Amino acid sequence: MKKSFILLIALFILGNIIHAQDSKSSRTQFMVRGYGHAGLDYFKTPDGTDASYVGAAFAPIFLFKQGNRFMFESELEFVLEENKLEINLEYANLMFVINKYLMIRAGKFLLPFGTFMERLHPAWINRLSSKPLGFGHDGIAPASGIGLELRGSAPIGGSTINYSIYSTNGPKLKDGSEEPEEAGMLNFENYIDNNINKFIGGRVGYLPLNNSSMEFGLSYFTGKVGDKGSIYEDVRASLWAVDFSYVKQISPIQGVIDIKAQYNQTGVSEAYYPEDEEHRDSTDFYTFNNLSRAYYAQLSYRPSMAGNMFLKNLEIVGRYSELNTPEGSDWESNINELSFGLNYWITWRQVVKINYGIVNSEGGHDAEEGAGKQKSNTLFVHWAIGF
Amino acid sequence: MKKLILISALSLSVTALAIYSSSCTSQREIAAQKSGAELWGQNCIRCHNIPSPAAYSDVEWETIGLHMKERANMTKEQIDKVVMFLQTVN
Ligand code: HEC
Repeated sequence: MKKSFILLIALFILGNIIHAQDSKSSRTQFMVRGYGHAGLDYFKTPDGTDASYVGAAFAPIFLFKQGNRFMFESELEFVLEENKLEINLEYANLMFVINKYLMIRAGKFLLPFGTFMERLHPAWINRLSSKPLGFGHDGIAPASGIGLELRGSAPIGGSTINYSIYSTNGPKLKDGSEEPEEAGMLNFENYIDNNINKFIGGRVGYLPLNNSSMEFGLSYFTGKVGDKGSIYEDVRASLWAVDFSYVKQISPIQGVIDIKAQYNQTGVSEAYYPEDEEHRDSTDFYTFNNLSRAYYAQLSYRPSMAGNMFLKNLEIVGRYSELNTPEGSDWESNINELSFGLNYWITWRQVVKINYGIVNSEGGHDAEEGAGKQKSNTLFVHWAIGF
Repeated sequence: MKKLILISALSLSVTALAIYSSSCTSQREIAAQKSGAELWGQNCIRCHNIPSPAAYSDVEWETIGLHMKERANMTKEQIDKVVMFLQTVN
């Protein structure tokens, strides 16, 4: 089944390449882009050391443009998870340019909640091999959603404002019935609506400078997360984020400075979860202040104006990130991470990254009970390409 | 209900902003003065490395232009200029 699916895709791509070659320009254009990466990950934790080759991830992007206003964009992600091929639909959405200042998108799209997931996560864009804390598996921020979005931008004098407002099915509350130790967490990978209530969200970005080098963003995302008809029906999640970006080539330092930062917070209204007998005793239900926070700040420098070819393509990067999950929950944790990297850019979309990280953690639902503070070290060597 | 008000308020402010910015001709001129090369140099470096014009063909730049118009939240005028520049020097 999977084989025939892949074969079908290959034929489709081939057909289109041949088609594209014999027609110089047409109203409809089809393109396959994407990215992949591979590498070696080394971990040193109090439990021991581990090193393994990772990756072989392949993420093709399909772009279909019709006329000057309509496009369909889609990304698949092929990865090996425990010896099995997993295929994920990262996004698949239709978009239409309504007028100068507005576009509409419908389908599954990356959410402009902050900027990391929408703009910076692909392996050939992210300056480090890992995501900042709080994103990805067991993260506290959404990456994508199924719904409808209006977005656009407008110049205001020398500055620019951009905006997005959207509605999606939204995440789902983990009520502890399946995994008691995760009660109160949000499942962002849920794309089926579990209630009639829709999430709404938006982001406003402001680029104050005439040269567009700086951007501030403010995002908000809210809706009900409990199953319809359950005692959690009225439980609401409210998330907000602020982001910052500054990218500029500065002559006196002969290169490009790139600063990226995001702070995000996820709050879930009061709810009572059943005690898990293995972990707790006494009363039947418990509650806690369900507020999680994460942030990161990253600085990179590339001497792009240096005379030496080798030096020109080198880049140094540092990132600090922190994640705090609710006190009193079974997934309470305080984690921080400091990473440094040395990158070599082979082309504008191909890079070899060597990253070293120090992670300090306390708690987390994977940690042994009473484990206390733990320190781990990571070394990643990744080779990433966008094509 | 509350949400409806919020959505309407947000949409209204977006519209108001759009009208406001399009009515200020002198301000629009500032943005309009920028060349395709300038817009490319300033915008296409904000998220990833600046793409080389030679990386793609004229037709491919058109498709990528629409994709990046959406990703980078650029106006039609801005992205058209960038695409034209890339098609000229690729
Ligand atoms: C707001 C961030 C952002 C800005 C600004 C931006 N890009 Fe991109 N660009 C991306 C992301 C994210 C991707 C990867 C697409 C994906 O993985 O879905 C990408 C991909 C690309 C690709 C690969 C082909 C494709 O369409 O996926 C090209 C080429 C590209 N960008 C060119 C440009 C040009 C030219 C500009 C300036 C007009 C630009 N980008 C500005 C975020 C940005």
